Amino acid sequence: MTDFVLEARDVSYSYSQKQPRPSLDGVSLGIRRGARTAILGANGAGKSTLFYHLNGVYRPKSGTVLYEGEPLDYGKPALRTLRSEVCVVVQNPDEQIFSSTVEEDIAFGLLNAGMERDEIERRIVESLFLVGMEGYRTRPSTQLSYGQRKRIAFAGALALRPKVLILDEPTAGLDPQMSLEVIEMVDQLVESGTSVVISTHDVDLAYTWAEDIHVIRGGRLEYSGSPDGFFSDSARAFSCGLKRPTPSVVDASLRPGSAMRPRTNAQLLASLAPEGAAFGKVTVVPVSDGFDASAASVPEGTPIGICGSRTRRAFASGGLRVDHAFNAVDGCMADAVRGRDSVLFCDEEMVGFARRAGRAVEAFGKGAVM
Amino acid sequence: MTDNIIELRDVTYYYEGSKVPSLDNVSLGIRRGARTVILGANGAGKSTLFYHFNGVAEPAKGTVLFDGQPIKYKRRKLRELRSRIAVVLQNPDDQIFGQTVEADIAYGPSNIDLPKEEVDARVEEALFLTGLTELRDKNTLKLSYGQRKRLALAGALAMRPEVLVLDEPTAGLDPQMAQDFMELAERLHHDGTDVIISTHDVDLAYTWAEDIHVLREGTLVYSGDPDGFYGDDRCVLTSGVMQPSIFAINRGYCAMRGIDEAPRPRTEAQFVSKVSEGPRGMLTIVPVDAGAALQMPEIPDGVRVGVFGTDAKALGRSMGRTPDFMFGGFDACATDCLRGHDSVLLCDRGCLEMVSGKVALLGHFGPGIESRVLRAP
Repeated sequence: MTDFVLEARDVSYSYSQKQPRPSLDGVSLGIRRGARTAILGANGAGKSTLFYHLNGVYRPKSGTVLYEGEPLDYGKPALRTLRSEVCVVVQNPDEQIFSSTVEEDIAFGLLNAGMERDEIERRIVESLFLVGMEGYRTRPSTQLSYGQRKRIAFAGALALRPKVLILDEPTAGLDPQMSLEVIEMVDQLVESGTSVVISTHDVDLAYTWAEDIHVIRGGRLEYSGSPDGFFSDSARAFSCGLKRPTPSVVDASLRPGSAMRPRTNAQLLASLAPEGAAFGKVTVVPVSDGFDASAASVPEGTPIGICGSRTRRAFASGGLRVDHAFNAVDGCMADAVRGRDSVLFCDEEMVGFARRAGRAVEAFGKGAVM
Repeated sequence: MTDNIIELRDVTYYYEGSKVPSLDNVSLGIRRGARTVILGANGAGKSTLFYHFNGVAEPAKGTVLFDGQPIKYKRRKLRELRSRIAVVLQNPDDQIFGQTVEADIAYGPSNIDLPKEEVDARVEEALFLTGLTELRDKNTLKLSYGQRKRLALAGALAMRPEVLVLDEPTAGLDPQMAQDFMELAERLHHDGTDVIISTHDVDLAYTWAEDIHVLREGTLVYSGDPDGFYGDDRCVLTSGVMQPSIFAINRGYCAMRGIDEAPRPRTEAQFVSKVSEGPRGMLTIVPVDAGAALQMPEIPDGVRVGVFGTDAKALGRSMGRTPDFMFGGFDACATDCLRGHDSVLLCDRGCLEMVSGKVALLGHFGPGIESRVLRAP
């Protein structure tokens, strides 16, 4: 039996009785515990409406939402508990930031959950560290940029240490590097056992990142399963307002009929590599507390990648020149496929993640990268 | 001498109360007739730059020239300037004032004292180009986000500007709407409007741009063709952006195979054309005229159909057999042909030239595809 942390069973919902069709129409899906889940669909398909059902803000007109196998209890105390365990971060941070300073804003949810002062203090420090904003603790939230406000909204949710984190368009409006940094934070959470659900219009991101995808079209569930099962058919993707991700299109054009499709640029290059290619190697260096970036030694000219909030901080104070500062795991793997050795510094908790990425590249059978 | 429609000379600008310049000694030229993209991290100064293009912001130091003349910040002169250059803001709600779609579009042209017939004609045209004709009487408060984005654009188009500036036109739109928006921008450019775009979507920008200008913390760090910028890893890294996916794929592939990176493909189809041999399928292009009956060829099973252009889309929606590719039609059909399958593209007559240019461009990268335009019998 599959282990679902959240489940919707035949959920229907309308905002008003005058609607020609319901906003959600008989949607049944399960969010697997610990999995990376992406919800996809055109503008107005019902993604946000679905999210508000998962944390009990909306109550289905018919059907049931289950958390940990139990139907949701819509009583006030039960909802409060639910929302400290299932956190939704909305697209627009201004809908979520209420307090005048950054620290007050993060404390808000924690106070609401009835937490002790010492614990609140610990969590503020921890969550600001995770989003790279520890220097902004006492800043008025009105003085922050859009990207910084997005991070604070994110930190507010992280501070609750939720079991399930639901992110509505986490990268919308962010520049490319900031988007990749947010995804890296999300990856860290998944590694520590949080179930993460995101909605996004960025199909390349969803394809690379997600293990499970659910596609909604006009309020109905169109697809649930692996990204490949959906994106291998371009006409189907188009009919849902989406397009095929780049690695999938390119690979399908060059290797029609292949059973396994690459999901990242490094995997694509591995799939297109000539037989007998000489791959380089990625050396993974785990970074733990107290790591000194200036003492690390890397041969001259070898590309360096960094991954994880601790590593990022260790390298921010100078020292080594970084070549792959964003999306570094795939960047180092791509270097290896084209024959260059590289060194990937990463938070020790992320070493497993990096190794899995390496195995995914090696699965194309052209050579070893680790 | 280059022919610049807009030029900044040593422009420095401070927001009120700030000692840090938001633009710091920026000099750049927007070439007439070029597709231009402005890139940079959040807060790099892109929007501030746009406010200098249409005279909303006046530089603390330096000069802004429009069509060779320094901008004059007098009310009447500014009004004249803004009938020649339109800026569409990222958030459509900052720009929509009218109660109905039609009233909102008419707002700008009515304000510059055009005769009523002229205002009406412009409203019709803008409604049509943005696909809003059927929503003309709708209350603007009841539009979806994507519809409001299109309405803000329609309002700008009704001014028939020589220069159209789009700030993050695709932010918040799903892939289909984003593609539609870009196709429209491409068409406007093809028909003679200078289009300038800022975007965080580096992949989209790469397929589209001829010139890019990159800002970093208020200073200009690059002006020129996109490949010159993306080839410089260090500059890309410090500018808050990433290399476009297809640029990185081409670079890695060429390194592996020991072949030249140039010519550098900008789209998936161009990359496939570069690195794969035939056989190719045939692209049959069917011209579509608004309101005319379609001479539809017999379409064999397994041949997929795409649409390109506003009329073709409208037709596609009303057809018995819905086309397979209702957006991004050219690239989707071309990709099928590159894999050896035939495909059919319904194309606005006004876009035929543009599409044949795209077919020819594929051939520039490698064994491209064959195409034929279906003539009326």
